[in-house]
Amino acid sequence: MSELNNSNTNLLEGLGEHSQSYWQKAWMRFRRHPFARWASVVLLILYSLALFADFVGPYPEAKSFRKLQFVPPTKVYFKTDDGKWTRPYVCKVERTRNKRTFKLEFKENCDEKFTIRFIVHGFPYKFLGFIPMDLHLLGGPWLTEEKAYLFLWGTDDFGRDMFSRIWFGARISLTIGILATIVALIIGITMGGISGYYAGTRVHIIRGFFRSPFKSSAMVIESDSGDVKGLFGSGALAEGWREAVHEQRVPAFLAGLVLQYAFWAAAAAILLSTMQGFLSITSGLERILAIAVFGGILGVMLWMLLFGRLAIDVDDLIMRTTEILAAIPGLFLLIILSGMLAQYDMPSSTRFLLVLTILAFVGWGGLARNIRGFVLQLREMEYAQAAKALGAGDIRVLFRHIIPGTLGYLIVVASLAIPGYILAESGLSFLGLGIQEPSSSWGLLLSKAQQIGISAIKQRPWLFIPGFFIFVSILTYNYLGDALRDALDPRAEH
Amino acid sequence: MTAYIIRRFLHLIPTFLGATFLAFLVIQLAPGDFITRLEMDPSYDRAQIENFRRLFGLDQPFTVQYAKWLSGFLKGYLGLSLSYQTDVWHVLKPRILNSMVLVISSIIFIYVVSIPIGIYSALRQYSWGDRFWTTFAFFGLAVPNFFFALLMLYFALWLKDTFGHEIFPIGGMRSLYIDGADFFSAPKWRQWLDVAWHAVLPVIVSGTSGTAGLMRVMRTQMLETKMQDYVRTARAKGLSERVVIYKHILRNAVIPIIASIGFLLPDLFGGAGFVEVVMAWPGLTPLILDAIFSIDVYIIMGSISISVVLLMIGNLLSDLLLAWVDPRIRYS
Repeated sequence: MSELNNSNTNLLEGLGEHSQSYWQKAWMRFRRHPFARWASVVLLILYSLALFADFVGPYPEAKSFRKLQFVPPTKVYFKTDDGKWTRPYVCKVERTRNKRTFKLEFKENCDEKFTIRFIVHGFPYKFLGFIPMDLHLLGGPWLTEEKAYLFLWGTDDFGRDMFSRIWFGARISLTIGILATIVALIIGITMGGISGYYAGTRVHIIRGFFRSPFKSSAMVIESDSGDVKGLFGSGALAEGWREAVHEQRVPAFLAGLVLQYAFWAAAAAILLSTMQGFLSITSGLERILAIAVFGGILGVMLWMLLFGRLAIDVDDLIMRTTEILAAIPGLFLLIILSGMLAQYDMPSSTRFLLVLTILAFVGWGGLARNIRGFVLQLREMEYAQAAKALGAGDIRVLFRHIIPGTLGYLIVVASLAIPGYILAESGLSFLGLGIQEPSSSWGLLLSKAQQIGISAIKQRPWLFIPGFFIFVSILTYNYLGDALRDALDPRAEH
Repeated sequence: MTAYIIRRFLHLIPTFLGATFLAFLVIQLAPGDFITRLEMDPSYDRAQIENFRRLFGLDQPFTVQYAKWLSGFLKGYLGLSLSYQTDVWHVLKPRILNSMVLVISSIIFIYVVSIPIGIYSALRQYSWGDRFWTTFAFFGLAVPNFFFALLMLYFALWLKDTFGHEIFPIGGMRSLYIDGADFFSAPKWRQWLDVAWHAVLPVIVSGTSGTAGLMRVMRTQMLETKMQDYVRTARAKGLSERVVIYKHILRNAVIPIIASIGFLLPDLFGGAGFVEVVMAWPGLTPLILDAIFSIDVYIIMGSISISVVLLMIGNLLSDLLLAWVDPRIRYS
């Protein structure tokens, strides 16, 4: 007996040591990826810099010095004039006009030295939007009194400090990617889930009143199976009614019926008004053809109403929609959508939400298609069937049993979608259609480099700095996504 | 096969209608229309403005406008541009040609560069060369097109300042003068050469991310095909390594690459769009951007519908190409 117990505990120990869950294995694989750790560290640093933007940047976001446009980065000196090491200091920048070329120039005046202090009081701000603070990483009393300036990465066309604005821009550029991905995932999961789960089930758009005159009577009798006297004549409608009575879902059937007729009436009304307007401005052959086309469509609708039966697959409907979205080149759809909406005046927070919504709207299609594929597979799984057999409703089966099965895939997709959205946002802002002044985002900051004209780029290379941040954030997200894919791919059993 | 093509075409019709209707709907979101700008201008009187509205069909509900636009499109007429005061097609045609120059050269660039590098990386897996190209691929996928284009301009400027003359042109699509004479009076081949010279940097920029992506796909494909049984069989038969690699591995590995043109095209349209804006290439995207701000409906609709059609043709061609290359694919 004791021997048996012994061997049992040994067995259990062995199990505890060697068996790992899917997520444990994934975590191990993730850590083994050569760049995953670096990418995570870099992203963590970027996000904390964005969070503490007020603290890191010496100036507030909108602080501008009208006379100091395109000031080159302020030099920081570590040695005094006689070559001794000292605390870092800067000199005052003064604007002068070149007497010969009449160009504006910025000259340093090193008569007075301004020592840079760390963690000092400076311009007041509200940390996290509600905690009043005035601590800054760099600065000194001279900075708030504007005796000298600290533009580590130069200034832009309004004389605003690029160094500060880059960290403020990071807030928007780095969060919009995540938020847009979340919104796109919500739409994509819902649409893809419905599409995959209900693929193959048909929903009746319209059922006719009467039996089709072209149907041979033999077939009709066979399908009607005797009970011809329904409430609504003898067509497809009657069939639906009998089904509904049989399955005891009469209220749902009636509500559906009302919806169907409302939809049909609205479609007919739109079509009629379009036809009327169209015919009033056309003549000749075009008019005749238009009458034929519109008449044909209305005729088909009438036929359907009287005799026909039209059932569509929700799956088809959603997938056609994603195809339509994919048919327009993504950039063009993005720029016309945001270009049209950018012409309204709105506060910057609304604009942020708008850009986010546009990005998600343009991007959900691909996600929905992929999720649909997964759901199609998973709904045939035993556990999904079992849940159904136990009486779980469709929504419960879909969201509690099927969607969680795609979790690993969703994480990978999300991590690869985020850099795409960061890129899209900075592209839009670069074209002037995304985030607008006075807010800041990396794309908007980089657009200054383009606006000043090609030949001026050479003199103002510091305007390129935001571009490197876009590059680094996309690169690290790509590495992270790559590592996650390697880690979460169940086929990758090393 | 013919039946398949016809079915594909029929399938494209609702997608085209949906896409153009969506674009039309989006344009309606704008505040006011083109004529609203004229209302601010005191030099136009009410009657004139109403006349304009009627002329461009802007007094009708938008479904009617769409129907009118669609019937025009089917006749090959894209409408009148409001801001250019001329037929849309006259404005669009040169822009589309310019964009196509960029997109098609980028496709060629992508395939010519990425396939050999993918093969090399797969045959010498984990070598220094392979590692270099892997890093390059990650960098190429991460660098935003507009930023890369700006860097290239900077590079061209630097070259000019260093060597005293333009090694690469700084933006634009053609020189004003060739050998002192006007561009259009130069011989045709000189014009083409000039455009090609201007296209070098834009093509590199718009092709980089595609090249980086495809390079990785090609590498993975080669590595997977290398493990197949028929490759071992070919080696066991005593075929030379050359024949095994180029006839047995490469030919099978390259098939998905050809199919990938369908995924590549939309991205390329977008990528080339940014390059056009930054490098002053007179293509479709700068035109659309201008048209957006003046709500020039028919210019936008013309550009969108033609690019939709071009995308569809591209996808169809890539499917047909795939069927032609891969005899295993049957369309019934």
